[in-house]
Amino acid sequence: MDNKQMVADIDHSLYDFKDIENEQDFYRMQEGLTEETVLKVSEEKDDPEWMREFRLKCLGIYKELQVPDWGPSIEGLDMDKISSYVRHKSDMKGSWEEVPEDIKNTFEKLGIPQAERESLAGVGAQYDSELVYHNLKDEVAAQGVIYTDLESAMKGPYADMIKSHFMKLVPPTDHKFAALHGAVWSGGSFVYVPKGAKVEVPLQSYFRLNAAGAGQFEHTLIIVDEGADLHFIEGCSAPKYNVANLHAGCVELYVGKNARLRYSTIENWSKNMYNLNTKRAIVEEGGRMEWVSGSFGSHTSYLYPMTILKGDDSQMEFTGITFAGKGQNLDTGAKVVHQGKRTASVISTKSISKDGGIGTYRSSVIINSTAKKAKASVSCDSLMLDSISRADTIPGMDIRTDDADVGHEAKIGRISDDAIFYLMSRGISEEDAKAMIVSGFANPVSKELPLEYAVEMNNLIKLEMSGNM
Amino acid sequence: MKKDLNLKVNVLPVLTYNFLQVNDSAITGSDLNIDKLESPEAKALPQGVSVKRVSFAEAGELFRKVSDRINVSTGVPGVPNGDTSGRDASQAVRTGMGADVDNLMEAVGAQVDVYTVEEGVKAAEPVVLEFKMDKGQGVLAGQVIHAKKDSEITVVMDYNSELDAEGFLGVSTRLLAEEGAKISLVKAQLLGKGFTHFDDIGGAAFNKGAINITTLELGANKVWTGSYINLSEKESELNTNMGYLCRDDEKLDINYVADHRGKKTLANMQFKGVLMDQAKKTFRGTIDFKNGSSGSAGDEQEDALLLSPDVVNRSMPVILCQEEDVDGRHGATIGQLGEDLLFYMQSRGIDEEEAKRIMIRARLKSVARTIPEPGLMERVNYYIQNVL
Repeated sequence: MDNKQMVADIDHSLYDFKDIENEQDFYRMQEGLTEETVLKVSEEKDDPEWMREFRLKCLGIYKELQVPDWGPSIEGLDMDKISSYVRHKSDMKGSWEEVPEDIKNTFEKLGIPQAERESLAGVGAQYDSELVYHNLKDEVAAQGVIYTDLESAMKGPYADMIKSHFMKLVPPTDHKFAALHGAVWSGGSFVYVPKGAKVEVPLQSYFRLNAAGAGQFEHTLIIVDEGADLHFIEGCSAPKYNVANLHAGCVELYVGKNARLRYSTIENWSKNMYNLNTKRAIVEEGGRMEWVSGSFGSHTSYLYPMTILKGDDSQMEFTGITFAGKGQNLDTGAKVVHQGKRTASVISTKSISKDGGIGTYRSSVIINSTAKKAKASVSCDSLMLDSISRADTIPGMDIRTDDADVGHEAKIGRISDDAIFYLMSRGISEEDAKAMIVSGFANPVSKELPLEYAVEMNNLIKLEMSGNM
Repeated sequence: MKKDLNLKVNVLPVLTYNFLQVNDSAITGSDLNIDKLESPEAKALPQGVSVKRVSFAEAGELFRKVSDRINVSTGVPGVPNGDTSGRDASQAVRTGMGADVDNLMEAVGAQVDVYTVEEGVKAAEPVVLEFKMDKGQGVLAGQVIHAKKDSEITVVMDYNSELDAEGFLGVSTRLLAEEGAKISLVKAQLLGKGFTHFDDIGGAAFNKGAINITTLELGANKVWTGSYINLSEKESELNTNMGYLCRDDEKLDINYVADHRGKKTLANMQFKGVLMDQAKKTFRGTIDFKNGSSGSAGDEQEDALLLSPDVVNRSMPVILCQEEDVDGRHGATIGQLGEDLLFYMQSRGIDEEEAKRIMIRARLKSVARTIPEPGLMERVNYYIQNVL
């Protein structure tokens, strides 16, 4: 009898608990998107005048723009049924003990306080539309590092800095959901790392969308000044409901001269989530941007972190893995624009498709005529675990100078029989051989993460190998 | 006849970001002079090969009769994100440039020469069609090459004119390789600098059938070329080999698709070219493994040499896959000559300009040497050697 190996689905149950919420503890905005709801969000946030006007302008743009014609279907997403703002009726806390019990339980189950004690320089936790907890370790604060929620920062000494950076990198005209974000954004973090400061341990934001039929629109703005260094980790999860949820966050990253920023994401939204997230970084001379991205959750994803290599000698590296299981359509990849001289980019992605999941790698590499001696390398590997799934690779390149060096490699295939046979001939069981090969496939991503997160990712992948089927 | 053109062609099998401007291309023009609607006659017809001139629609019937075999679906249906296959579903057989070319051919009444190779016949000599274009001439014409069971044929198409001539040439070539049959199609384009040219190819290969396509795009000002080959049945095979040279303000737009439907099908696609001056090239190459194409392999390699700071090179190497047991690969190398290579050449007393010329010739000649017609090969080599 043929032995058939099986790779199990990601075990999502870890994240699938729902907190018993007391309705009266929560403020939930009426579903739908109108000028009234936008003004209501603005009022809730006590926005400065410029922000209120900005939100209304974005709403106008949102109404004019069409949904993209090239990606996964988002027909299941009905904006009239999404509440754009849900918050707990308590203020943000600076100490863990003060966080309301129900919310605390959620994050404790996810291991956030544990992680904070062990390996983080600071943490921000967002529950539905609002940050509920923010903490920055004293020694990091002493370096002059600012890590706070965006709303309060907008009213403090950094107000001008935020005004001059907010949605400048991702303008609301970029696409329909960027405009939506601009109109109803709430929550999210502001990080400023001053000149020369090196943050030794990572900062983290954790996003939890607990309410059914809600949208999360957090905005993350990070400015890493000249010569500074930061690792920022972002985690996302939500329990599964039968109605669609929406995540349309926005991340804007400014990497200064000779600075370095590593932005790691482990995304495990539940499988009713439409993840239409926009991330973009601009890198000045000699700066370096590193993305580590794991996409495991969501019903539908559009996710292509973009890097603009503006300064000469700036660099970017993107390492990503996408696991598309049953019912998922994950359209992910990366975009890079080379402007400066001698800029370099490396994109390396892995994609696994199983149980009817659709995994699409989509990218664009643009080398402008100013980017003399630019180097770009793209490598994308897809692994098909059965024949009812899809793995598609849609990379684009636009090169406008002869003085550039661009390489591209793509491979699609399955686990090779020869490799299994070889390992078995060395006394390794078929199950272990298969597990070893799949872990090896995911290894380039997990080795880029801090140990605790690599363990979490491996848990997430849970590529359980079983025997006879 | 005067004709206005507004065709949407070379639609990418899956749409992507609009800002890349690769999702499709447009052929537009007004008052285009079309004075001929047929292909030249073959210089000689090998034994066992016959030819019949019919209307474009009638020629399509050959494919419509076997459309169930061409578009066979053995597995689970499923479409990729941004799928555009519905657009060209009306075609008798899908072509790389798509339905708009068929519609144009039908609308103007272009004639199609259907070459039929009888069962078991291995044509000893190639069929050579020379499109010798006059200045200002406009031609739209089609051919069908139908190779019956276990037959073999080579068709060479030679498009040429005076070097400085202008004009218009649009060609549609459709291919059907039945069980064990082999079709080799060679097209060399040496049209004058003022030419607008399109070359649309579509076809299917049945059980162990093979289609080989060799193309050289060396002349003309604006060129669109597309190929869509269905590897419909078991162990059918496709080999494409393209060489191109784009100079001055030339534009080249390419859309090649290998559609794997049968088991153990094989596609091997090579694209080698050189961009100079202000030339613009868009390359789309797709390997599509449909569900049911288990044991298949597809390989696509692009090698583009860029020799001017003002060129624009767009590349879309796509792999679509809905089958576990396949091997799909794509590789691209885009850039200028390596410093090591230049250093080596210079150390042998060859200056940079000469080194570039040697490398351009080497790339194009590697494709040209596969031309089976000695006269044409000589002319292509002369062109490569002297026009640069």
